[in-house]
Amino acid sequence: MSCSNLFHEQTARQRIASLVDPGSFTEFLPPPARVMSPYLPQLDIPVSFDDGIVIGRAKLGGTPLYLAAQVGQFVGGAVGEVHGAKLTGIIKASARDSIPCVFIAESGGVRLHEGSSGEIAISEAMRAVFECRAKRVPTIAVIGADIGAYGGMGILSTCCDFRIMTEHGRLGISGPIVIEKWMGKQAYDSSNRALVWKTSGGKTKFLLGDADLLADDDAASVGAAIKKLLSKSAPLTIKSVKARQQELEKRLKTFGKTTDPDAIWKVLGIKNVAEASLATATEFTALAKRK
Amino acid sequence: MEKFVKAFPSKPLTWPRGKQWALAGVVGSGNLEVLFERNPKTTDQMDCHVESSIPGYKDSWLAALGDFASNYPVGGTKVTIHDQGADPIVVTFRLRQAYDHLLKKTT
Repeated sequence: MSCSNLFHEQTARQRIASLVDPGSFTEFLPPPARVMSPYLPQLDIPVSFDDGIVIGRAKLGGTPLYLAAQVGQFVGGAVGEVHGAKLTGIIKASARDSIPCVFIAESGGVRLHEGSSGEIAISEAMRAVFECRAKRVPTIAVIGADIGAYGGMGILSTCCDFRIMTEHGRLGISGPIVIEKWMGKQAYDSSNRALVWKTSGGKTKFLLGDADLLADDDAASVGAAIKKLLSKSAPLTIKSVKARQQELEKRLKTFGKTTDPDAIWKVLGIKNVAEASLATATEFTALAKRK
Repeated sequence: MEKFVKAFPSKPLTWPRGKQWALAGVVGSGNLEVLFERNPKTTDQMDCHVESSIPGYKDSWLAALGDFASNYPVGGTKVTIHDQGADPIVVTFRLRQAYDHLLKKTT
């Protein structure tokens, strides 16, 4: 199923196939199982065989892992009841078997057509992530597609031990259009791609520390980043949560009144913004003066 | 929503070993997903199950599907389509893509 080598252009199934050890992927509830949304047909909206998410078990460099990949082209990768149950199930399997969990996010959040079920599904998935974290089973979110991870999927990604992003990925709660609708076009112009990516894109999120690793836009680079984190976990304690809260308060104090994203890059150690914008993940990582 | 089932005569498909299904495309605007599965009940026809969000184009569907069944040996298959407004050339392209995935050795 090879077509494009660019991670952000690949489909969910292509991403999995190009990431994991050849032939090691076993899909759970594959398309012929037809576990599909019960709500969409009631609204006269076409369903998808996998409800927009591919889940299963695979190996990466010989290490077993559970994987999920969202299909962004199907209702924006949005989380409905079945989609969310599949995601929760794979994270719960990780906790049960103490096998790392990696999900490749490409989602605007909860599927509005099945809003309540979707919200519940996201909170169940979050609970499952915390089950993993209590057992120190690594949970990793990969965000490398233009749709990014927003809404509930943004929250779920930040619940994980680690986040890997490419410069194509975006991470946030409210999406750009939502922010524009609330705050006005002068405050935030969602059609300004440079602004959008400078505020929620992979490079900025890496500089701010919201993303743990920055990878290039190809499966080899993303795979190498996953391998680096597979044997690690980040402690989740009252102390670590308080420290994170302090970081965020400090960030608000430092940047709360900043209107130019480039100014944030400069404060965070990027001297030549134009050069850094074009830098590869490795070059950018070297430029960023992150703790 | 337009839904219909229709069988088209086609030469028997030689199923690759170990392959049970193949998928192409995605349910998105102007796009569709096609699932090929084994149909043990027949060897000389392609059974099609179509669900389209755009009603009123059944004639175009029958023409595109009939064309494919006569151009490729796909007898013994069940083809299920979830469509969100793909035009006939995209339908043909996705059918061909799923057919290619089916015949390839790896998934």
